Amino acid sequence: MVASMKIVAVIPAYNEEKRIAATVADAIKFCDAVVVTDDCSRDQTGAVARAAGAHVLRHIINRGQGAAIQTATSYALEVLLPDVIVHFDADGQMMGEEIPMMVEPIAKGEADVVLGSRFLGKRANMPFTRWITLRLALLFTILISGIRVSDTHNGYRALSAQAAREIKVTLDRMAHASQILDLIKAKRLRFVERPVTIRYSAETLQKGQSSLGAFIILKDFFKDKFLGDV
Amino acid sequence: MIFQAILIIFALFAVSRVSKQYRQRKVSVHWFVLWTLLWMAVMAVALWPHSTDLVAAWMGVGRGADLIVYSSVVILFYGLYRVMVRQEKMHQEVTELVRRIAIMEEIKKH
Repeated sequence: MVASMKIVAVIPAYNEEKRIAATVADAIKFCDAVVVTDDCSRDQTGAVARAAGAHVLRHIINRGQGAAIQTATSYALEVLLPDVIVHFDADGQMMGEEIPMMVEPIAKGEADVVLGSRFLGKRANMPFTRWITLRLALLFTILISGIRVSDTHNGYRALSAQAAREIKVTLDRMAHASQILDLIKAKRLRFVERPVTIRYSAETLQKGQSSLGAFIILKDFFKDKFLGDV
Repeated sequence: MIFQAILIIFALFAVSRVSKQYRQRKVSVHWFVLWTLLWMAVMAVALWPHSTDLVAAWMGVGRGADLIVYSSVVILFYGLYRVMVRQEKMHQEVTELVRRIAIMEEIKKH
């Protein structure tokens, strides 16, 4: 735990019964509590997560990763009263031991949000097509959201409680990542990036976004930007 | 001639239906009035088809029929937009409900 800050990890999960126990066990070593949102999984993800020591919120209808993150965040803010919230993936690609490093800038008061990046220094073992897609997403984000980050679709984030309150995710599916960046800029939150390690395995690579998925993200994001709040 | 007759009959039918629904309080007065006005306009066009040509000429469009088609397309696009916005709002409302249920259930367990 970092300098007496209460850290809560927030983990959106869908059909991860095979990996969620290890993920929760990993994260809980570096946090005061772990909150898992079981996004209407068809397997035992919720039960397994609870057995591993997490608070579990169950969506009775599948709403998407963005919604799952927001649900866990709302619960944490209302019930657990954290100082810092960390976004963590359920599939074991992230490393719990990097949580203290992610939280440090917030603990020191240097930033409101810390964004993980695969492109800072460390060269990730990632397939070329995915690398190209991510670079294009980066360009898009700079142009549309006006925020410059080196890794636009990295789910590893740390937010101060206040920042977490201000960033309300309303894009339920995969476009939430773009929305979060958009909101960081809109709410003028101070952010920094930190290098993180994302472990790719053959299994998790299959789960990744398809090219069609990328277009759906774009569509959702633009729909919200221009039609949202009507 | 036949088409005009069909249009008028259909218009009267539509108005009678919505009138019945209004009396049963299934639709609001706004909807009833708008709907009736719309179908009265349809009847007027059916009875005096060339009236549309006059309006079209005044607006700088070729024929009355063209004007009706162009207007319908614009109105439909706008209607579609409104439906999409409403659907998006409903989607978010459902998510909020699912969220509340999830949080309430977990709070109960502790």
